Amino acid sequence: MKKHLVTLVATLAILLGALPAFAQDTLTVLCTPQEDWCVAMTQAFEAETGIKTNYVRLSSGEALARIRASKDNPEFSIWWGGPADTFIAAKEEGLFQAYESPNAEAIPAELRDPDGFWAGVYVGALGFCSNVNVLEELGIDAPTSWADLLKPELQGNIAMAHPATSGTAFTAFWTVVTLQADALEAEEAGKGYDEEGMPTEAAIDAAFAYFESFHNNVLQYTRSGSAPGRLAGQGEVAVSIIFSHDCTKFQIEGFEGILTTTFPEEGTGYEIGGMAILANAPELEAAQKWYDWALTAAAQEIGATVNSLQLPTNPDAKVPELSVNLAEVKLVDYNFLAAGASRNAMVERFDSEIAPRPTE
Amino acid sequence: MQHVQNHPLAQLQRLKSEPAVFIALIFSVLFVALTVVAPLFKMVGEGFSPTGLQAFERYLSSEVHQRIILNTIVMGLTVATIGTAVGFLFAFVQVKLNVPFKGIIHLLALLPVVSPPFAVATAIIVLFGRSGMITRGVFGVRYDIYGLDGLTLAMTLSFFTVAYVNLRGMMEALDPALDEAATNLGANRWRVFRTVTLPMLAPGIASSFLLLFVEAIADLGNPLALGGNYEVLATRIYVTIIGLYDTTGAAVLSIVLLVPSLVVYLVQQYWAGRANVVSVTGKPSGTPQSIDAPLVRWGLYALVLLICLLIVLVYGTIIYGAFARVPGVVHDFTLKNFDFVLNGIGRQAMEDTTRLSLIATPTAGLIGMIIAYLVVRKQFSGRSVLDFATMLGIAVPGTIIGIGYLLLFNNPLSVTLPLLGDVTLIPKLTGGQGLFGGALAIVLVFIVRSVPAALRSGVAALSQIDPSIEEASTSLGADSARTFRRITIPLIRPAFLAGLIYAFARSMTTISAIIFLTTPQTKIMTQQILNEVENGRYGNAFAYCVILIVIVMLAVGILYGLIGARTGAERRFQGGR
Repeated sequence: MKKHLVTLVATLAILLGALPAFAQDTLTVLCTPQEDWCVAMTQAFEAETGIKTNYVRLSSGEALARIRASKDNPEFSIWWGGPADTFIAAKEEGLFQAYESPNAEAIPAELRDPDGFWAGVYVGALGFCSNVNVLEELGIDAPTSWADLLKPELQGNIAMAHPATSGTAFTAFWTVVTLQADALEAEEAGKGYDEEGMPTEAAIDAAFAYFESFHNNVLQYTRSGSAPGRLAGQGEVAVSIIFSHDCTKFQIEGFEGILTTTFPEEGTGYEIGGMAILANAPELEAAQKWYDWALTAAAQEIGATVNSLQLPTNPDAKVPELSVNLAEVKLVDYNFLAAGASRNAMVERFDSEIAPRPTE
Repeated sequence: MQHVQNHPLAQLQRLKSEPAVFIALIFSVLFVALTVVAPLFKMVGEGFSPTGLQAFERYLSSEVHQRIILNTIVMGLTVATIGTAVGFLFAFVQVKLNVPFKGIIHLLALLPVVSPPFAVATAIIVLFGRSGMITRGVFGVRYDIYGLDGLTLAMTLSFFTVAYVNLRGMMEALDPALDEAATNLGANRWRVFRTVTLPMLAPGIASSFLLLFVEAIADLGNPLALGGNYEVLATRIYVTIIGLYDTTGAAVLSIVLLVPSLVVYLVQQYWAGRANVVSVTGKPSGTPQSIDAPLVRWGLYALVLLICLLIVLVYGTIIYGAFARVPGVVHDFTLKNFDFVLNGIGRQAMEDTTRLSLIATPTAGLIGMIIAYLVVRKQFSGRSVLDFATMLGIAVPGTIIGIGYLLLFNNPLSVTLPLLGDVTLIPKLTGGQGLFGGALAIVLVFIVRSVPAALRSGVAALSQIDPSIEEASTSLGADSARTFRRITIPLIRPAFLAGLIYAFARSMTTISAIIFLTTPQTKIMTQQILNEVENGRYGNAFAYCVILIVIVMLAVGILYGLIGARTGAERRFQGGR
């Protein structure tokens, strides 16, 4: 028995000793886009710099919540990807540190923070990603407007992520707020927007009223923004609200001829995929290296290799053939600053008023 | 004499004369206090803080949350009822019917133990979802599986094993002489079943029902995958933490979930206690009669076979899905799913999870045995408190343990001493900056969740061993520690190892307890499966599940080899009670 105990203790010691060791040159990335892009990026960065790079994929709302919870002693050094609204909210809360990257100059000024707290690494437009077979069965066409999504035929047949966890879903939410504010503003100046350009209470209430009826048609709010596209591809729902590049990715990866992308005629929202270095980043130097690298054309062309067809922000990067042409899609005047500033209050309201409501 | 012996001072005196026992006791108490009781206290404290009380008021008065609570209870009751019925049916067929293939049926009924969370739920979506291979492919209907119906199906298939093992043990222990007596007195079979068998099994049925109720309301994996808009407390807690990082709100909801869990656990303990009275009447005096009325026999058998078919279908889908390009939609054979798991992020998760489970399992076994020894063999006040506190590790839903850890160990625990200044007693354990990259917190949770099983199997085994054997050792001059090592451990080894199998399977497949504790440095397979399921990459999820099942089966196989096949997989369940 003694021998057994010795063996046991020895084994435990070996196993414990083998626990993750902390070498000097490491980088921990908080990654928000789809998982395979995270893998491709970290592997490429590791190959180029020799810095051992780890990542965790979290949707942007989760990412923000997580950073907030450990802001004095963050687990991550850099956050890469996810709609800029969340980055603006995080900047306001002092969760980032500014960095003047030598490569930031290459990025158009409207795609980065003037104070250097974040920079855009890609751009994408929101769309409706629908399953043609299910649509046919339901006897309807692919939705081409936000109003179409309220059709009773679509009851329980729409999937969207939860705006609290997903930046994609928040982009959809804020797009509806913007459209409501625009409509009110068209009725009477000052009715839709206040002096500071923020949507009025009335506009926000109108958006919530929209989502209240929209909710009846929703099967499930997923955690991650792109997941609804898979649900549509698998035929679990007819329509998903996701970024159009994610829909294209799904089409390439097995749902060709099954999924189709449409855009709302009232106008659609778009995202600037952000990137920022966290305040108190434990691996500052490596994080800065990543920041510089991720702005280069070469790094921005990696997405296309894993069918992530977001538009690059670096003008020198090759635009993938299948990427959406923003000139052909009607975009709303998406106010990132207003969206970022309102984000926390909005998601809390959505989470308590809309998401847990029973559906008929 | 008895009176004098039990006086606390006399106890202390006695314990002091046995330093090894004394140390073991102190260690056990400290361990349980720190890893089980303290996190729970912290969580309850957070819930009753001023902001927590506000949240309480908000939640309890909001219609939406009342609905969530109602949903949780309805789901718990439904799953408990159907799950117990299915478990009873399987047990009945095993014990009372003379039908072929009972061995295979038994193994199929045990399969859910090794299956990871999400496996069953995801397979059900692929089979019975709106575009399900069966609902849609065979019957051509677009069935809406999301919600209470889907949850009931998935949870019944996942949890009925508990009821089956429980009831089967009781049925086997029933004295057939009673049935015979009733028959001789002129009662027909149905009357015997109704007036003799059923009442004798009542405590077992009640305790299975309660166990399933707790399992169902604590379950996170199935509602996340299959809930649709049928929201329950467990998923609500999850979104509150993951989406909003509102630990106070989550603590409040946890308390709402904790209350029924604990009440049911206590009631179940009471019933299980009564159940034991029945089973210790001695060895059955004869073999159970088989029921031979063809209608009953083949009717029940057909029902069991139907459920077995369902189980085969579900697990077949998991294997099929692991090799399909898009499970259920594009059937092309591919190894890409395994490539993704084995060569991508999954590899680290696989290694981390296995390594941490391998650390946790023997540790939990050892601690469980020590506590069992203390509780059964040593006289000290507070024995039952120690037993109860240890059992809390499993009686409490996993999410609650996880939140407790998050609240308690997210900052270093330090005290200010007069001369030394601030002294850190326990460093930060959770999160990426925690000790060992947060791995220690996860190991502790694994241990805490596994110790109860080891404790119960230890107590059961020890109660059957006559203390005089150990007394003999003591009178021959061995002290308590030596007796424990040389006599007790070898005697209870089979139970010990059986408890280990269960503990290992439990650690490898747990999700709710560790979901808030995984870090960039420490990745856990079940968490990765959740990622894949939530992103709809079912192929990858199935590949993960297959690998996880293989790892658990391998471990079970190795441990089986150590104990010999006879001690049966079912024994581990006695610890699960």
